[in-house]
Amino acid sequence: MKRPLKVLIAKAGLDGHERGALVVAMGLRDAGMEVVYTGIRNTPEQIVAAAMQEDVDVIGLSSLSGGHMAQFKRVMELLKKQKVRGMLVFAGGIIPDDDVKKLKKLGIKEVFGPGSTIASIAEFITKSRR
Amino acid sequence: MKMRGNELTKLVTRLESGEPLPTELYRRTGNARILGITGPPGVGKSSLIDRLIDNLRRQHKTVGVIAIDPTSPISGGALLGDRLRMQRHSEDEGVFIRSLATRHHHGGVTDSTPQIIHALDAAGFDIVIVETVGTGQDEVEVAEVADTVVVVLMPELGDEIQRAKSGLMEIADILVINKADLFNARAPATGPQYSALKWERPTIHTSAKTGEGITTLCGAMDLHHAYLVHSGELAERRERAVRAEVTRLLQSRVSASILCALEGPQAQTILTDVAKRKLDPYDAVEKLTTEILGSNKRSSKHVTTSTRGQAAKRRKTGR
Repeated sequence: MKRPLKVLIAKAGLDGHERGALVVAMGLRDAGMEVVYTGIRNTPEQIVAAAMQEDVDVIGLSSLSGGHMAQFKRVMELLKKQKVRGMLVFAGGIIPDDDVKKLKKLGIKEVFGPGSTIASIAEFITKSRR
Repeated sequence: MKMRGNELTKLVTRLESGEPLPTELYRRTGNARILGITGPPGVGKSSLIDRLIDNLRRQHKTVGVIAIDPTSPISGGALLGDRLRMQRHSEDEGVFIRSLATRHHHGGVTDSTPQIIHALDAAGFDIVIVETVGTGQDEVEVAEVADTVVVVLMPELGDEIQRAKSGLMEIADILVINKADLFNARAPATGPQYSALKWERPTIHTSAKTGEGITTLCGAMDLHHAYLVHSGELAERRERAVRAEVTRLLQSRVSASILCALEGPQAQTILTDVAKRKLDPYDAVEKLTTEILGSNKRSSKHVTTSTRGQAAKRRKTGR
């Protein structure tokens, strides 16, 4: 049996704005993916530990409070430290254009801002993992 | 732990996809205590497990958790939201949590649950907790795999007639009324009592929110384990678990061979005869049983190529 894509959706840092992450999680569920949702106020350490124990294919990080540079960078560092290879990481939330470039340099494949459709996120994941 | 975290997580993924556990690992199982936690959706099973993990870790016991949520019958996807409630020990190496989607298996657990329990057992976890999907009255498969079944309910879920019904209520070794902080639920809770011969099922009030009753629950689970050991029932239950697991594997292999046999030309003739009303369905089954499944040894051997063989093939072709 071919397993569905497994995705972790998490919010890093002190950010309680959960609606967007939950909408994406449900949208990816509707796109046939298995989505582990770990909710708000995760530390980067928690996120990476969860991704490893769950053996996910994809990590989606959400931030709307401005902490994305510090938090997401730490996630990428920890993934490297744990020698996790081939993990697709994407992000979403309120993230300035300048930071989008920096995040992509860190290895975050795509950043979805306000107005992004679920379909575009699902398509991005499916294409990147194919 | 007898297995590195990364090794275990990849192993579990393979088992989840239907591959069998390597024999040498199965030989190392039988040491973990298996707890089943079941009950309707939203009663607080995951939050309660978060508390249990905390309590068990204080006793220096390592804990593996299998947390199951339903697969969507519409999209085939799933939202796995149990782990979210179990973050108290999220960076603790003595705790391993894996979320699973049912992938259309009914009964409250997944096809792969027995094998994944073995994997966590072989990896050296002292306690393996299986959290079922939010269950109804009839999803009782966890009783086939667990040594101790804890059924979690909450106040106001029904009267004594509900309690008297078959199914879920019958499989409880321990009954928990969680969210006891609500509705001022204090009425008849009973403590666990046992002699070596008889287990009196306790009702325990807990609140995963405040932590109330968790120590009592852990005590009851220990007591139940002691009862199982002293009464000899543990051995019986484990034997039942083995029988159930082998039966299911056998059933799935036999049903695969039936489906395969039905593809053949002989079967097609029989089915056509049923459609023309020359045979009735029972006659057809009789004929199929003797003519195809019974006599055609070569074809049945062919279609029942071991699951191990199929799994190896799957592994080669990727996920």
